[in-house]
Formats: sequence, structure tokens, C-alpha cells
Amino acid sequence: MWLPAYATRSERLCRLAVVTFAFAVLVFLVGPLFVVFPLSVSKDPFFTFPIEAYSWRWYADFFQNARWTQSLWNSLVAATFSTALATLLGTLAALGIARPGFPARKAVMALMISPMIMPVVIVAVGAYMFFGPLGLTNTRTGLVLAHAGLAIPFVVITVLSSLSTYDANLTRAGASLGAGPVSVFFTVTLPLILPGIVSGALLAFAVSFDEVIVALFLTGAEQRTLPVQMFSGIRDQINPTIMAAASLLTTVSIALFVGLSLIRRLRRG
Amino acid sequence: MNTMTLERRRLDEAPPLTSETMVAFERVQKTYDGRTLVVEDLNLTVRRGEFLTMLGPSGSGKTTTLMMLGGFEQPTSGRILLEGQAVERLPPERRDIGFVFQNYALFPHMTVAENVGFPLRYRGVRGAEAARRVAEALAMVKLGGLGERRPAQLSGGQQQRVALARAMVFNPKLILMDEPLGALDKQLREHMQVEIRKIQQNLGITMVYVTHDQSEALTMSDRIAVFHEGRIQQLSDPVTLYDQPENRFVAGFIGDNNTLSGDFLGVEDGFGVVRLADGSRLLTTGAAGIPGSSVTVSLRPERLGLDNGTRQGAENRFPARVLDRTFLGDRVRLTLEAFGDPSLVASLPAADGAAVTPGGIVTLTCRAADCLTLTR
Amino acid sequence: MADTMSLTAPYTDPGLGAALRRAERPNRLRALALALPALVFLLVTFAAPIGVFLTTAVRNPEVHEILPQTTVALEGWDGQATPGEEVFAALAADLARARQNNTAATLGKRLNYESPGMRSRIMSVTRKLDGFAAGPLAPQFIAIDAAWGQPDLWAIIQRNAAPVTPYYLLTSVDLGQDAAGGIVRVAQDQAVFLDILGRTLWIAGLVTVATLLLGFPTAYVISLAPARIAGFLLLMVLLPLWTSLLVRTTAWVVLLQTDGVINQVLLALGLTSEKLQLMLTRFGTVTAMTHIQLPFTILPILSVMKTIPAGQLRAARSLGAPAFSAFWRVYAPQTLPGVAAGCLMTFILSLGYYITPALVGGPRDQMISNFIATYINRDLNWGMAAALACLLLFMTLSIYLLFLRLVGAERIKLG
Repeated sequence: MWLPAYATRSERLCRLAVVTFAFAVLVFLVGPLFVVFPLSVSKDPFFTFPIEAYSWRWYADFFQNARWTQSLWNSLVAATFSTALATLLGTLAALGIARPGFPARKAVMALMISPMIMPVVIVAVGAYMFFGPLGLTNTRTGLVLAHAGLAIPFVVITVLSSLSTYDANLTRAGASLGAGPVSVFFTVTLPLILPGIVSGALLAFAVSFDEVIVALFLTGAEQRTLPVQMFSGIRDQINPTIMAAASLLTTVSIALFVGLSLIRRLRRG
Repeated sequence: MNTMTLERRRLDEAPPLTSETMVAFERVQKTYDGRTLVVEDLNLTVRRGEFLTMLGPSGSGKTTTLMMLGGFEQPTSGRILLEGQAVERLPPERRDIGFVFQNYALFPHMTVAENVGFPLRYRGVRGAEAARRVAEALAMVKLGGLGERRPAQLSGGQQQRVALARAMVFNPKLILMDEPLGALDKQLREHMQVEIRKIQQNLGITMVYVTHDQSEALTMSDRIAVFHEGRIQQLSDPVTLYDQPENRFVAGFIGDNNTLSGDFLGVEDGFGVVRLADGSRLLTTGAAGIPGSSVTVSLRPERLGLDNGTRQGAENRFPARVLDRTFLGDRVRLTLEAFGDPSLVASLPAADGAAVTPGGIVTLTCRAADCLTLTR
Repeated sequence: MADTMSLTAPYTDPGLGAALRRAERPNRLRALALALPALVFLLVTFAAPIGVFLTTAVRNPEVHEILPQTTVALEGWDGQATPGEEVFAALAADLARARQNNTAATLGKRLNYESPGMRSRIMSVTRKLDGFAAGPLAPQFIAIDAAWGQPDLWAIIQRNAAPVTPYYLLTSVDLGQDAAGGIVRVAQDQAVFLDILGRTLWIAGLVTVATLLLGFPTAYVISLAPARIAGFLLLMVLLPLWTSLLVRTTAWVVLLQTDGVINQVLLALGLTSEKLQLMLTRFGTVTAMTHIQLPFTILPILSVMKTIPAGQLRAARSLGAPAFSAFWRVYAPQTLPGVAAGCLMTFILSLGYYITPALVGGPRDQMISNFIATYINRDLNWGMAAALACLLLFMTLSIYLLFLRLVGAERIKLG
């Protein structure tokens, strides 16, 4: 497959082996994501295949249990607010960093990106300790602030990448035609980098919506998020309702991912 | 056309700050890194209604100069006057200058009409009046009827025209162009050169044009400023620039050129006498050097001729060995060894050069007026 | 002539730099002003909390806050013999106040880290304070516990009267201080931290190597595939990246169960005759982590591979290189920047894993992050948690700096 015409017989065999291997790896990558779906609709509470009978009972469990629904709501609220905050701050920062003459760009970028690589436990414990005296632990505000911090690098990176394909002459053209800096931003720059901003926002949403550890430390029973609820569930005794929750989380992830892919396609087309 | 001839006559006058002056750069310097000057010490005036080209190799400071005039770069020191007013601190949107960018910088998310109408929005022109002016501008660049297209749906040449229409629709004081034809193929480029020049002359707009293409500059301009290493090397009309380059750089940059090194011996009968490397003497015109100093003689290939008795008044006559002969259709290009220099080039009409064969010895002639002594 | 010369010489003017800075300052400030909100936000909600947390690794407030008088009284002590009566009196007074403030237990817990048994000594003396008779206190202390007569015990109190201690940091690398304050290795049975550190590095290394071995050929195949197929294959790499880490771990918990899918498949294929223990094992942990990290390794390698022109391999072949040689000597070296970026990223991220070892691993597969959490949640030992965090952060930042140097923060791409 995909071989040059001059390939020899042994090369063909070798290539076949590599391609087979790669496909096996891809199955390894994607397979586990889809394990949760069938198990979430299995009638039996055991995690075995083949599935004997199907039922929506675990979803019913999920939606009838106030703990699960409350945690889902909490996750949505926290993710929405931290996304808004991270998108605003991250976009502004990217606009600044992309300007020529931005001072100490490398150092600033290193700092901006660091939440991505920082061990989350350290972030979580730090926030727990620092937010405590400020009365921000066991509050939604505290969680939103911490999650926004974790999400900012994602927004900065996506917006910077859309700015890198943005032609600075467009800004100049706008100015030469009589539009002030603010007008130029809203009529020229913003429409063109919007896909990047939306991608960043989707990523930010995913970061917050999926995050476990910080939420584990910062939330009390009332602000508990869906991943935290799942995590404690798995630790206690894994049960099929968790499969339903995992399926819901995965569905949201895939929806965000599809959204992003569509935006990318739109931008290219 | 009248203005043009007027302009021509005044070329060599010192530029006075009169109402004729549209732009004046005064002692302008620009550095990006704090160490090297991209623009060293610029003094230049642009006259109302003229087509001025800034010509030079890349990195010579011409684009930086244009960007400073457009307001996109600030001079590190010095003043820029637009109609007598200092504008160094004036943001681009308040300069009222049309700018055509190298890659056109059309807004990809707007239609052609929206692009052209963009500057009108910021000048309070709306509704039917705006639509009329947009249509007018598009008609002027022969794009009537394409207003609803997106830039991506247009060819390169069409995009170029949109950029031109957009820069002119608001009747700016002057129009700046940064290598606007660089992305077009040769034929289209030559066509657009003529068209831009025509529009400029018809409307009497002042244009400042940046290019690295010397033939483009010679074709279009009233005056050409040759930039090199942050300085203007020569500022004159195309003919003077070609016939009387003031220094070696200009001589080498504009057109093909033979440069011969020698010592300036003195002036005889109104001609400068230069002794070349092999000892032969050449009668020249141009700047008189200090006797004994090294000079360069610039000699255009097409000003060399074969000595067939028809060339009257050629003061110089010398033998040369033909090394190579290239047929170019209407002309023949010879590489010759003469004065001990094996890289002399002559360009002859095809008929003259037909008989010449590599290895043979020929006698070449040239007029002293075409041998230009350069001391710089 | 002079003019022409000055053109070629680099123009240097001391005033020029200043003029440039003056001219550029408004631009720089405007650019900085845009990034400032995010910078301040990150400093306050991200950097400052981590900084404050890390300082607890050396903070030592207990002794000098709870035993202020004793701290002063011990200043003149030579450390040789049992301290004088005034020290005992100061301690008694401090403990009496500590009992009122309910801080004796805190003190006992802190001193117990240094010398087991200190907690009970402090607590029993505190309980018995009311029963002390008038007269010299030293003999009465010693009567409760003979250790109060030992200079070693007082040396510990004296040493910890300082507001800063190296104790937690030393312990985190299996070192301690002897009575004289010299640095020594801790006893074999207490030396656990280097093991945890080594294990963390080892697991991260295994995961990195595994992702490279699996990811490199996969990236290669994707880079060769025709555009439409490559797009689909790329989706298969990106999709897991978008799925919650917790969900992916959950999937592995399910797959690795003794009655789970993997054992079912292995049994059905006859590859094993009895069910294997996969959950709570190193194998399970590394497998799940490899699955989660794989996209991080593949994507940078792929993006580099895409930039290598197909002509390169053709040229190598036309110059006489056999297929494998052409691949190894011409193609592979050019993928190195991607390999470095992918592997460094995976290694950095693997060092900080918490969720996956906690859910899939057994006790011997817990990594530094898990111990940090345990010290906070179960032992309430902030100092130790912070010291381990320092260690983890040091490793992470070292490799992050290497990453910044080799790859650069601007080159990180997301899908």
C-alpha cells in the first residue's frame, strides 16, 4: 500500500507489516473509547461481552439520581464560566504576544504554556492551600478561576496559530483606508481569527469539563463536578451508572471535537 | 501631460518647499535593532502629481521608507512632512494616503464591493453615494460587475485591480504602492504598468511606487530614487539615470554595463583620459578625477560597435578577441577579451554580429560620450 | 569616497539604541498591556498558589510558635548536658499555653517526624502539667519519661526552633540529620522516597519508549497515506486526545478487570489458560498511560514527517542506498526534531500522572503525585507533600526547559 513503483518484493512485505502494525496501534488508540458505550446500555451490571440484553436503566439511574444530575450541572456551569474567562484573557494575550516588539516573548510564552505541563496535583494542592484563606475553596468561583488558568494556554496556542496565518498587511490596509485600531480589530482582525478563538474556547471547555484533580481538591459536595463524582465512584465500586456517565462525557467530547473539525474545515475552505 | 513636461524641465532644480511639494523627508533615520540603520539619512521630496519610484535591491531601505510614509513604521529620528505638516506621530488612518500592498491585503471575508467601500465607511460616505463611488472605482480598473465576488474568486491581476480601486476610491492625497505587480506574470505585469501609469496621469494623482525591477521603474516613473544600503544613490528622471549614472552602484544596477578599472590621467580636448589595466588609453566623459587616481569607466554593451567604417565620430577604437557569441533574436551578444579583461560584453544588432565567430579578432569602437568616468 | 565607505561599515551610534527604544516604547507597552491581564491572572491563580505551597517544604512554624519561651531559653544551651531548670520551666509554661490553645498535638506531630515517640512524650507531659509539684521541674519531667534527660531530645527541639527546616526536603531524598545536625542517610526501613522517585522516572520512561515504538511507525504510515485516508487516520489519533482522561482510564479499568474484555479475549484465543491479574499491576498502569500519551508522541512526529519531501527518499535510492539504509540514514535523522518534541512532552506529562496510577495501579505503582495527594489528604503532612512537589516540579521544569530549548513554546500545536 502507498508504495513507490520501484519497491522490491521484500520492501512490499515490510511495508505491509508496518501498515498492519500502524492499524493495530490505531485500533488500540480508538478501541477503548468505545468500550463504555455498549456497557452503558447492557442490562447486566457486569462488564463482560457479549452483551446479553440491552437496557437504558443505567441512564435512568443517572438522570434520576440528584447527585449525578447535580454534578453534571456543576460541570457545565464551571466549564462555561472558565471557558469565557480563559477565552477572553487568552485571546487578548495572544493578540499582544503576536505583535512585533512584544518584550521577552519567549519567557512570557514559557510562562503562559506552563499550566499545560505542570503536574496537576501540584496545581490542585497549591490552589487548595492558597484559595482556602481567601474563602474560595468549596466555591464555584475558586474552581472557575483554577480551571481558567489551566485552559488559558490552549486558547493562547490556538489564537496564536490563527494569527500566524493572519496577514499583518490587512491591519495596515484597514488603517490606511481610514479605520482606527478598534474598528480595524472588529471589522478585519476579529472575523478572520474567530475560528481560532472558537477552537480555543472549545478546547478550554473540554479542559474544564474533563478535569478531575483540581476539582477534587477545590469542591465540596455541593460543587462536585461530574468527573469528580465518577472518580469517587470508580474508587468505591465501579458500577454501570459510571459507564453511562462516561458515555455522556465521551459524547460531549466527540461533539466538541466534531465542532472543532468543522471549524477547521470552514477556515480552510 | 502638461504637468509632466513641466516636471521634466525642473528635474535638476533643488527641491524647494513650495505648494508643489507633497511629501518631504527631512534627515530621516530608521533602525530596527538599534545598531544598524536601515535608512541612513534620508532627504527626499515628492512633488504634487508626480510618479516617483523608489528603486533598489532588497534591504536597501526603500520599503521601510514607504512604510514610514504610510505610517506603519515610525522614523527613529527626523521629520516627515505631508503637505507641510509633520506626520511622524499621525496614525495611518488619519493620513489620508492610499496604500497598495505587495500581496494586495484584500479582506478575504468581504466581497470586492465591500473591500472597495471600506474606506468610504470611515469618511461618512454611505448608501447610494457610496455604491456609486464603488462602482465608479471598479469601472475605472475595468472590474465592473465583479463587486459581489470574494477576493479568493478573482485572478491575481483582478485582485491587484481591486487593491488599486480600494486605494483610490476615497481620493487620497497620494497613493503608495509596495511592489504591487511582483506576483503577476511578465505579460500581465507589463500591461498593468501601462494601465497604472495611465490612471495616474489621467487623474493627476501623486504616486510613490516601490520596486526592485529596474525596467518597471524606467517605464513608469517621472523620477526614480535609487536606494542602496539605506541611502539614495541618485535621484533623477529615467533617461538621465540610464545615460548618466552618478556612481558605480547606479551604473551597475540600471541596465547591463561593462565596468573597466583604470587610472585617470588627465583631460585632453575636453575628454577625460583613462589608462586601463593593459596600458591602453580610453577617451571618456563624466566626472574628472584627480590625475593619477583610480576610476571606473562605465560602458553600456549596446554602445559598442564593430568598426566597419560606418561609425563616425567614435573616439575610441580597440581590438578584441571574441570568446563567445550568443544569439538573442534581434541582437547578438558577444563576450570579448579586451584591455586584458576577458569579460567585456557587447550587444550588436543581429545583422552586424552575424559574421563574428568565436576565436576571431575584431575591432570595436565606441564614443567617448558613452564611456562614463565614475569616481565614486 | 568617504560616504561610500561608511555605507558598508556597520553604522554604530551610541544614541541610536536609545532613540530606537524611545520610538518603540509605545508599541511595546501596547503589546504588553494586552497580555498583562492573562499574565497577572496566571500569576495570581496559578504561579502564586504553587509558590506558596512549595514554601511549606521548608516552613517550620511549630516549635518557635508553640514553644516561644523554650526557644529563647534554649538559645544559651551548649547541647552537651541536660539543660538547666529554667529551660524546663519555660517548656512547662509553653505547654500550659499550648494546652489552652489546643496546639500541643500539632507540636507533638511535628516533633514525632524527627524522633518517633515525641508525640506521646509531649502529650503525656501536657496532660500531667497540673499534677506537677512546686520545686524543680526537671526531675518531674524525667520521672514521666527518662528521655527528657537526654541531650539528644533537646537538640531536636533546639534545632527545630528555627523557622526554616531542611527536614522535609532531606527526607524526600531519603536523607536526615543526626543529633549534631550533620546530613546522613536515613535507616533502610525508612528509605522509601528514592524508590518512589525512581519508580516515577522508570514508569515515565517506559511510557515514553512504548509511545515512541508504537507511535513512530503509525505516524510514518499516516504521513504516507493519501490525503483523504490520512485525514481519517489523523482523526483516530486526535479523538482520544479529546476524550476525558478519566473516561479513558475508566475504560482501562473495565478492560483490565479479571473478568474483563482482555482476559475474555485471551482465554477465547487460547493464549492463556487462566485469567491474568491485570488490574492493580505495573503492566496495566503502563498500558493505560501509553494509550493516553500516544497522541502526544505521534502528533509532533507526524507534523515533522509531513515536511520531509518524498523526493528525499527517491534521491537517496537513486544515489544507490538500499531501502532500509535510505530510510535510516536519510529519513529517520530528519524526524529527530519531532521525536524529541513528542518524547519530551510525553515524558513531562507522564511524570505528573495521578488519576491513572490511582485507579489502575497497585500500591507499588503509585507515583510521586499520588504520594503528594496522600500526604495532604490522609496524613495532613503539608511539609512532606510540598517537599515531594518540589522534587516533582524540579524534574518537570528541567525537562520543560530542555523542551523549550530544543522545541520552543511557540511550536506547540494542538491538532
